[in-house]
Amino acid sequence: MISCLIIDDEPFARQQLADLLATETDFNIIEECSNAIDGLHAINKHQPQVIFLDIQMPRITGIELVGMLNPQKMPRVVFVTAFDEYAVKAFDNNAFDYLLKPIEENRFKRTIDKVRNDLAPQAIETIAPEQIEHLPCYCGNKLKVVATEDVEYIFSDVGGIHVNATNSYCHTQLTLKVLEEKTPLVRCHK
Amino acid sequence: MALILLLTQQMCLYLVIVYLFSKTPLFKMFAETSTRLPHKVFIYVVFSGFCIMATYFGEQTTGAIANTRAMGAVLGGLLGGPVTGFFIGLTGGLHRYSLGGFTDLACAISTTLEGLSAGMVSYYLKRSGNLELIFNPLLVFLVTFCAELMQMSIILLVAKPFDHSFELVSEIAMPMLLVNAIGAALFMSMILDQKTMFDKLSSAFSTKALKIAERSVGLLSKGFNQQSTSKVAQIIIEETQVGAVAITDREKLLAFIGIGDDHHIPNTPISSQITLDAIAQNKVMFADGVESSYCCSIDHKNCRLGSSLVIPLRSDNEVIGTIKLYEPKNKLFLNINRTLGEGIAKLLSNQILFGRYEQQQNLLTQSELKLLQAQVNPHFLFNALNTISAIIKRDPQMAKQLLQQLSQFLRINLKRTTGLVSLSDELEHIDAYLAIERARFIDKLQLDIDIPASLHHYRLPAFTLQPIIENAVKHGTSHLIEQGIISVTAYVTDDELVLKVTDNAGLYNPPERSEGLGMNIVHKRIQNQFGEQYGVKVDCKQDKVTCVSIHLPYSGDKP
Repeated sequence: MISCLIIDDEPFARQQLADLLATETDFNIIEECSNAIDGLHAINKHQPQVIFLDIQMPRITGIELVGMLNPQKMPRVVFVTAFDEYAVKAFDNNAFDYLLKPIEENRFKRTIDKVRNDLAPQAIETIAPEQIEHLPCYCGNKLKVVATEDVEYIFSDVGGIHVNATNSYCHTQLTLKVLEEKTPLVRCHK
Repeated sequence: MALILLLTQQMCLYLVIVYLFSKTPLFKMFAETSTRLPHKVFIYVVFSGFCIMATYFGEQTTGAIANTRAMGAVLGGLLGGPVTGFFIGLTGGLHRYSLGGFTDLACAISTTLEGLSAGMVSYYLKRSGNLELIFNPLLVFLVTFCAELMQMSIILLVAKPFDHSFELVSEIAMPMLLVNAIGAALFMSMILDQKTMFDKLSSAFSTKALKIAERSVGLLSKGFNQQSTSKVAQIIIEETQVGAVAITDREKLLAFIGIGDDHHIPNTPISSQITLDAIAQNKVMFADGVESSYCCSIDHKNCRLGSSLVIPLRSDNEVIGTIKLYEPKNKLFLNINRTLGEGIAKLLSNQILFGRYEQQQNLLTQSELKLLQAQVNPHFLFNALNTISAIIKRDPQMAKQLLQQLSQFLRINLKRTTGLVSLSDELEHIDAYLAIERARFIDKLQLDIDIPASLHHYRLPAFTLQPIIENAVKHGTSHLIEQGIISVTAYVTDDELVLKVTDNAGLYNPPERSEGLGMNIVHKRIQNQFGEQYGVKVDCKQDKVTCVSIHLPYSGDKP
C-alpha cells in the first residue's frame, strides 16, 4: 500500500481527489488537511510516501510548505493547482508531477502510474524558496503563522519545538535542522 | 535773488532733458530700484553725467560755483543704493576738484557724502520695507535739502579762509538749497508719473487678458467646432472691441462675428491668402492695411474691413486652425490688440490641447474598466469549474445551480456597460460571485450584507462594489485559517452614500501589491465622475480587520 496525504483548502477539491484515489486500490489516504500548517504536522506525524498538495492555500502556499520539509524525509510530491502560470512552468521545467483543476481522469491515471513506478522524491530545491519567511505554529489548539523576523528564540525539549516571538509563545512542527538551514536563526547548542 | 533765477534756469534745462529722456524706453530703468549690476552701472553713468553737467552749467560766484550737482548725486544714491551713490558722488566730486577754486576740496568731499548718504537712506528704506517711499517727491525734497545743508556745513568747515567761505555760503546757501531740493523732487515726480502710467496700462492689459481667459475657460476643451468657436469669438470681440473676429480650422471658416458678417459666412472654405499662409507657415501674419495692404478676399468693394491679424492655433506644434482679428478701414489696428491676440491664441491652443488630453484620459479609464471586466480572475474561474466537477456526481442538483450562478456571473461581467447601474444590480452581481465562493469554502466564509432596501435604487457606476468584495475574499479571508467574515453595509451621511466592506483578515498591504489595480480603478473612476472628495478609502488594523469604504455623492431627493 502506498500511503498518501491530501492537502487542499477547498473541501470539494479534497473530496474529488479522494474519490479519484479511491479507485486506485493500492493507494491509502491517511489524512486530509485543509491548510499547510495541519499538512506539515500530518507529514511529520505519518511520514506519507506521497502528498497531493494544493498551491494556493491560506498564509502558507504549497510551494512554501515543501521548502519546510526535512530533505531527508521528503515524500513524493504531486502539486495540484487551478491556475498558476508561473508554478506550472516551473513544474514543467523541473519534471515535477502536477495536476490541473478540474482534474482530468486520464491525466490523473498517468500521474498515479508514474508515482507508483518511482516513489523516490524529487529534489525540491529548484522550486522551493531558499528562506522560510513565516513559521507555521500552534498556540494551544489555534493555528498561527509567525513571521520569521518576529522570532526572538526557538528551543526544543521533550515537548517539541518552542517558538518565542515578539507577541506570542507557541510550538512549531518545523525541525531545528530546517530552521537552522532556512532561517537567519543561529544554533547555539548542539 | 538773481542767483535763484539762474539756478532755476539751469534746473529747467535739466528737466527738459529729463522730459525728452522720459520718452525713450531707457527711462523705464528709473522707474524701478536697481538690484542688478548692469542696472546699477547704468544709473551710475547717467547720474555721474548729470553731476558733471551741473558743474559745467554752474554759476561762477566769488571764486566758487553755484550749481545743481546735488540733484544728480542724491537721485543717483536713492535709485542706486549706497555704493552706486558713493561712486556717483565721488565722480562728480573729483570732476569738481579738477576745476579748482578755493572750495574744490570741500565740494568734492560734500558731493561724495551726498551720494553716499542718499544711498544710505535708500538702503535704510529697503531694509525697513518702505522702498516705495523713495519715489515720494516730498521725501526726495527733504533728503536733497538735508544733503545741501550738509554741503554748506562742509564748505564752512573745510574751505579756508573762513570769512571767505562764510560770505560764499551766505550768498549761495538759500538758492542752492531750494533749487536742488525742488529740482530733485520734480525729477522724481516725473519718474513717478511715468511709473503710474505704465502700471495702469499693464494692469488694464492684464485685466482684459484675464477676463478673456476666465470667460473662455473650458469652452474649447469640449471640442473645436462651430458652436464652441462662435462663443469664443463673441467673448473676444466683446472684450477687445475690435471690428471683427473670425476662427477657422485648417479648411473652413468656423465662426465670424462683427463687421462684414453678411458675407463672411461660417462653414465656407477659407478664401484669404494670408490665412492660408499663416496655416502653411505656422506663422503670425499681420496686414495693417497701410504698409501691407489688406483686402477682403470675398467682397473687396463693399467690405469695410481694412486690417487683419491672423494667428495660427497650435496643438502639439501642429496648426489646427487660425484666429483672426480685424479692424475696419477707418480704424487703426492697436498694438495692444495685436499682443492680446497672440496671447489669446496661445490660451486657446492650450485649452484645445487640454481638451484632447482630457478626452484621452477618459478613454483610458474606459479601457481600464474594460480590462477590469475582462479580468475575471482565472484562479477563481478554474476553481469554480473544479468545484462543479467535484460535486457533479454526488450532488447534480447543486452542480447545476452552481453552473447557473457561474454563467450569470460571467454574463453580467461581459455585458456590463460603463454607465450607471442600480445598487440592486450590483448586489445581484455580487450574489452570483459569492454563491460560488461560498460553495468553494462552505462553512469557512460568512457573509453579512446589510443594505437598506430604500437604497437599492441608488445608481452608481457599474463595477464599484463587486471588485472590492472580490478583493476582500481574494486577498483577505481566503488567507485565513479560521472562518472568514465579510460584512457589507451602507449608510447615508449629509450628502454622501457610504458603502462599507469589512473583512476580518486585516491583510491589506497598501503599496506595490498588484491587486491594487482593481481598487485603484474603482477609486479613479469615482473621482473622475463625481469629484475629488469621493472615492475609496481603506482602513486596516493589521491581522484584525480591513475596512474599505466607498464614498459616493448622495442627494436627498433619492429614496
